[in-house]
Amino acid sequence: MNKVNNNVLLEVKNLKKYFPVRKGFFGGETQYVKAVDDITFHINKGETFGLVGESGCGKSTTGRTIIRLYDVTDGEVIFDGAELGKMRESELKPFRKRIQMIFQDPYASLNTRMTVGDIIGEPIDIHNLATGKKRQEIIYDLLERVGLNKEHANRYPHEFSGGQRQRIGIARALAVEPDFIICDEPISALDVSIQAQVVNMLEDLQKEMGLTYLFIAHDLSMVKHISDRIGVMYLGKMAEIATSDELYTKPLHPYTQALLSAIPIPDPEVTRAKQREVLEGDVPSPLNPPSGCRFRTRCKYAMAKCAEVEPKLKDVGGGHMVACHLMDK
Amino acid sequence: MAENKSIPKTMWEPIAHEERNKEKISRPSVTYWQDAWRRLKQNKLSMLGLIMIAILFTLAIFGPMIANHTYSDQDLNLTNIPPRFEIYKIDKDTFVHVRRDYTLIQVSEDGEILGKVEETEDNIFQRYRAYKIEGKDIKLDYSLAAKNKDKPNAKKFMLLSDGEELIPYKKVFNKTYWFGTDALGRDLFIRVLYGARISLTVAIVAALVNFFIGVLYGGISGYMGGKVDNVMMRIVDIVSTVPLMLYVIMLMVVMGAGLKTIIIALGLTYWVRMARIVRGQVLSLKEQEYVLAAKTLGASTWRILIRHLIPNAMGPIIVALTMQIPSAIFTESFLSFIGLGVSAPMASWGTLASDALGGLRTYAYQLFFPSIAICITMLAFNFLGDGLRDALDPRLRK
Repeated sequence: MNKVNNNVLLEVKNLKKYFPVRKGFFGGETQYVKAVDDITFHINKGETFGLVGESGCGKSTTGRTIIRLYDVTDGEVIFDGAELGKMRESELKPFRKRIQMIFQDPYASLNTRMTVGDIIGEPIDIHNLATGKKRQEIIYDLLERVGLNKEHANRYPHEFSGGQRQRIGIARALAVEPDFIICDEPISALDVSIQAQVVNMLEDLQKEMGLTYLFIAHDLSMVKHISDRIGVMYLGKMAEIATSDELYTKPLHPYTQALLSAIPIPDPEVTRAKQREVLEGDVPSPLNPPSGCRFRTRCKYAMAKCAEVEPKLKDVGGGHMVACHLMDK
Repeated sequence: MAENKSIPKTMWEPIAHEERNKEKISRPSVTYWQDAWRRLKQNKLSMLGLIMIAILFTLAIFGPMIANHTYSDQDLNLTNIPPRFEIYKIDKDTFVHVRRDYTLIQVSEDGEILGKVEETEDNIFQRYRAYKIEGKDIKLDYSLAAKNKDKPNAKKFMLLSDGEELIPYKKVFNKTYWFGTDALGRDLFIRVLYGARISLTVAIVAALVNFFIGVLYGGISGYMGGKVDNVMMRIVDIVSTVPLMLYVIMLMVVMGAGLKTIIIALGLTYWVRMARIVRGQVLSLKEQEYVLAAKTLGASTWRILIRHLIPNAMGPIIVALTMQIPSAIFTESFLSFIGLGVSAPMASWGTLASDALGGLRTYAYQLFFPSIAICITMLAFNFLGDGLRDALDPRLRK
């Protein structure tokens, strides 16, 4: 699976997304939640980039900022050579066809007042891709492609199970024949048995249509299964980026190590022998993050330097990037 | 993925056709509205309300077309005849009714009004009136009225036929004027029907204003959010702080009193509550993932509003609408009642009620019928609104 090519499809440079939080009655001082604070990474054509991290670390915000559901506070999002971050909605429209998104909650991501046919047909209507009989055929084709029947086109979303609904969501994303799909925790709301079904389908579709994925999740084993490269986020910062094999065999950032040790292994012998690294304390408030390295409050290797200087994301060889002062030696 | 290698290749093959049919849904497709209608039908009270509204509309539209006189036809000889009255038998086929102003009206045995009887003598000093009907001398002596002034239940008059006192023959319903006539001899039933026309016109205007201005304004305000929302909602606040009465009075100065003034005043102000409701709905709905999905597909603001947000806010919109309509009808009646509404001879329920006030103690039925009409309409709309709220409430959806 590890295709190595330098054909970059998406490049995110120093991306920042701050949400203002008003304090006081008259709007006096404005504080910001730094949901995404200066992250840089790239995604190659045809690969799957996994983005992991605990709740509230800014993974979803990153995805939504890339697709411009949120305005970019600062930084650049370069998709196939074009800077999306500063574009107006009208300029974005051609890119709306090329970047798509699959959402987390299959119950909330489909409009309950529209038939499945209309839901899948909506992107076709918006981009004027086809009308009449041809539109119908495309819809039927998409339904079959995600393993549903033609007859489902006239049904309403509430008649489907979670897995079927998620497949409808995928069919909608595929309707515009995109190059790049952001999967925002597409499987975390599904049963484990259905998760595999959906993930396998995503992999098949990638092979068939040459798709590139940004796969956001918190389920590490699933991310390892699907991703070529993985980025680990902590509190709005990128902690580590590596190929998925390297990340699992040789995690360098203390946070990644802690995350990996939390993966349950279905073997009692191994589990008993294993030393789990338990992180102390809670995630600090993103309103008021710690100075220097953001992980230092929970890091067992924290040094004096960690509180003063913020570690930069550095290449330690072979595209493995880590942001930690331990690597400086 | 070493684990996966132990699974034989055959297990990864596409499933057989019979297996595929497992995805089929056998239940018939039920849309949101079919489901809501099914639930509404189970609610007897709101179905009653719906039927009453249907009857009201039918009567208001077709009633005046069929009737042989209009709201302004008056007969000064036949004023203040109640819907049910006592008759006295004069002769085999001759019956009379004594009105409250001690004049005689000739009626048939089943209560048809035949006309006023002309008196031969009107003696205001002796307090009697003399009539000649079918060769008989009829004397209506109302001198008792002055004597028994303070005793409300005492006898007020005597009807004498050739010197012999007549007793009431029986009580009959008014067959000519079902609801009786008013102080100018106009048919109250027809006037109530015309009043229904005005009330329902107001209801329709209120509904349209609510729907088109309120829903769109609230929808845009909620969806845009931020500064736009702030400015739009402050405008709503300003509009809603000025009382409706003031709008009507100010408009009256410019345009004169009338239905047009009330409709314009309602149009200017009645969308405010709906705008607030829709804004609240849209604020919560726009964070839903299907709206985000539409945005990532490149849908325009207009499309998101019309196709996604408003259809999903339809439940609360319909419920608010059925609650706003009776309130608009009541407002119109109230304004007409205090004299700011439709002007004579046009009849609205409010003006009918206010006209009836003068003779309330003697001709109470003139107030009774328009009030009953207002009550029934309000109840019908409220019952329907309650039922709709239950039927459309997504929390009750299975």
